[in-house]
Amino acid sequence: MLIHFNLGLREKTAEWIMRLTLFSCLAALPMIWHGEYALGLLTLMTVYGVLLIGLDATVGYLGQINLAQAALFGLGAYGAALAIQAAVPLPLALLVGIAAALIPGAALAVPSLRLEGPQFALSTLSFATLTVIFLNESEPVTNGALGLSIIRPSLFNIVLDSTRFYWLCLMVLFATWWASQLMLRSRFGLAIEALRDSPTATDALGIGTLRHKALAFAWGSALAGLAGALHAMNFGYLQPAAFGYDLMVILLLGVVFGGRRNQWGAFAGAAVVTMLPNLLSNRTLFASLVTFGCFLAIASPIRTLLTRKLPSFRQTAPVAAMAAALALAVFASNVEEWRKGIFALFLFAAVVGLPDGITGAATIILRKVICFAPDPLPVATGGIQPVASPAGLALHALNLRKSFGGVKAVDNVTLEIMKGETHGLIGPNGSGKTTLVNLISGLYKPDSGSLEISGVRPIPGSLMSAYSARSARTFQNLQPFSGLTALESIMVCQRDGGISEAMGWLHAVGLEAKARLRCSEMSYGDLRFLEIARALATRPYVLMLDEPAAGMSKPDIIRLVDLVSTIKRAGITILLIEHHQDVIAELCDRVTVMDGGQLIALGTPDQVRRNPKVIEAYLGSDESATQAKSEIGAQPC
Amino acid sequence: MNAEFLALAQMAVGGGLMGMAYALVAYGFQLTYAAGKAVNFGQGELVMLGAFIGLSLTGIGLPYWAAVPGAMVAGAALGWFVERAAVRLALQQRNEGWILLTIIVGLFGVSAAENIWGRDDKPFPVPWPEGALEFFGISVTWPELAIASGALGIMALVELAKRYTMLGIAVQAVSADPDAAELCGIRSKSAISLSWAVSGAAAAFAGTIIAPVTTVGPTMAAALTLKAFSVAVVAGLDSGFGLVLAGIALGSAENLSGFLIGSGWREAPGLILLILALALRPQGIFGKKIIRKV
Repeated sequence: MLIHFNLGLREKTAEWIMRLTLFSCLAALPMIWHGEYALGLLTLMTVYGVLLIGLDATVGYLGQINLAQAALFGLGAYGAALAIQAAVPLPLALLVGIAAALIPGAALAVPSLRLEGPQFALSTLSFATLTVIFLNESEPVTNGALGLSIIRPSLFNIVLDSTRFYWLCLMVLFATWWASQLMLRSRFGLAIEALRDSPTATDALGIGTLRHKALAFAWGSALAGLAGALHAMNFGYLQPAAFGYDLMVILLLGVVFGGRRNQWGAFAGAAVVTMLPNLLSNRTLFASLVTFGCFLAIASPIRTLLTRKLPSFRQTAPVAAMAAALALAVFASNVEEWRKGIFALFLFAAVVGLPDGITGAATIILRKVICFAPDPLPVATGGIQPVASPAGLALHALNLRKSFGGVKAVDNVTLEIMKGETHGLIGPNGSGKTTLVNLISGLYKPDSGSLEISGVRPIPGSLMSAYSARSARTFQNLQPFSGLTALESIMVCQRDGGISEAMGWLHAVGLEAKARLRCSEMSYGDLRFLEIARALATRPYVLMLDEPAAGMSKPDIIRLVDLVSTIKRAGITILLIEHHQDVIAELCDRVTVMDGGQLIALGTPDQVRRNPKVIEAYLGSDESATQAKSEIGAQPC
Repeated sequence: MNAEFLALAQMAVGGGLMGMAYALVAYGFQLTYAAGKAVNFGQGELVMLGAFIGLSLTGIGLPYWAAVPGAMVAGAALGWFVERAAVRLALQQRNEGWILLTIIVGLFGVSAAENIWGRDDKPFPVPWPEGALEFFGISVTWPELAIASGALGIMALVELAKRYTMLGIAVQAVSADPDAAELCGIRSKSAISLSWAVSGAAAAFAGTIIAPVTTVGPTMAAALTLKAFSVAVVAGLDSGFGLVLAGIALGSAENLSGFLIGSGWREAPGLILLILALALRPQGIFGKKIIRKV
């Protein structure tokens, strides 16, 4: 970058200044831009702003394609309109609007939130279609397809003309923006980002996937209702068809175009969605804008061509889309007829070329131009301290069984682990070690058998319940929260304490210096240590480590052995799955060996190593070795 | 009583035959889902475009028998285009962007159809004889029979090709594990592209057999996508022929509820069924349960 500013400003402060400036400008706009039409548009923009901030909670933060927002918006609008017809005061009408969207939204959330990806999109899509059918067919209440007319009520005896109503909407938008930001930057918001990356890990660490998903969805629905109520008062006329699939697509695309996980993005999306139809009516202005877009899109592939490489699809596709839009702007006989098509082209270019939307791209440029002062890191406190777990067996599994189809992955396993013991679990690949840990930690429900952790019987098949019994685990296949930093990963799953305690946990595993690094940028070994820190931060009595040393370098393994010894000295019971025999020998008091889903040996590391059954499981007996060889040879390729 | 029962049976049969067409569109979802775990949220738009292209081809004087394959070729090209433009990149990055991008491509398709063929619904001429056949007092029209036999025929043909040709087996290998297939010398990308092209052709074919019954118009797309989704999800996205049963059930339910509750509520039972199916059995009635691995 040629220009570089170092203002010594925190990013948060800068954002506040920009936001206040934006809102002052918006508030002053009616002084310059007169007329009912202009005010109507501005009001619509603020209403859409509220709506899109709500939609961003599911589409952006939860990362699920939510197609019900337009329908919820419609329900809010109808709720408020009916309330106003019943001569209810304005603030109460707003509340009715919120409730009218929140209650059906919650009813949808219960069955839908267990779903992911296309299934979630689909269930919201069918909800949206059902809502429009319902509004159309409940003629006695909603007046069906003919529509519903209302007159805007006054607020505490103040007559709300268009300007005043616009200011009211602007205030609502400001409040929504602020509240959303506060909420989504809190631990709640971190949890939502975490569960998008790994719902299994958030459940296993006691964060509660479903609860957070439901709350985020409820927040989005409530905002849809609020926006709907304002919309009803702004327009004064409602029709069911207006809240159908078309509006939904436009809203969704507005959020993506503006930039997800960002209130600025939602606002920018709202502005584009509101203003685009008006831009299309002015042909010269539109054509010049598209030309500008073409130049922007073409800059990046040209830069690649200059380095004598072929530009990627991500660079060329936006150019093709913008070129098509330009062709339409110049040659189409009526540009407004092509409104949807042009919108689709813009969006295609934006989704492929700018995955973080226009505000995302603007943020990246701003961060390059201006050097913001980093947030200071607190001093680390806490860390691994002696744990007072209840007396008795730390873990007692009795006759656990689990089979997948015909495969008996865990076959009648009984395991007793003493309090404070470090217990090794070894066995050849596919012997059922991870399945056993999955049964204990509640990821799988056992077919039969019982389980007790520190004297508590968790609900079988519930990760959250195993967490409540104070067990914690790490994963053989890493489950990092890729979008969060190391520090945030700890903060989101801490049982108690604040940011300095979180630093304490990072200090304990030696990741203090990487606190502000995103998990997606961390090395494999560091992520393994971070998973242990995450598990420790839940203050478990029983800690299950699933192959912590897999793929680690020699110096990292030494660090790991030190760390596990420290954990052991603190009195935490450890179940350690590991293939490195030296690690097992050094750390474990007793070792259990599994093969083919069954326990085949139990004893001290030394005893187990000399056990002929164990040697056979790992190396095979002479007979079976030759048999295996011939089988491999006979297999067709 | 008997007359009323006969009327209901008539409704159910008519709906069930129409439901075969939903099953055929849903089959397009199955094909692409098996190959790359993605489905086209603009599948209804492909059906609509296929129908319009077929209409234009008959408009320039081609007989119906030539217009249908022509529309299928165009549908295959469109399906291939959707995969290339909207799905491939997002799947490489393992994100849900393809849902948005297929919606966007569909949106452009609707806009293009509105501008090329107009916003109004148009009739679709067919060479089927007028009148109807009667079985046990229930009459079945020729276009309805064409829907049922055409849908079953195409599905059977593709399934046979999948099982008994090298190409089909290669596609199955890719759907089982794209990386392993690649190691055996199968081009996974081409196999996925092929699945999308076949899915597009099936959609276009569906368009040319549905249109004679329903007429052609840009608005037919959205409703069809949703119905086909209902069928695919209720049956399960990997259910094979289970979706024919689900299609027949949905078509009949639609007609019966339109008759019994009111024409505006036609689509409601299918949608409620879809939400319930998703809530209670996300893998579908005939689908297999997925095990979480860590």
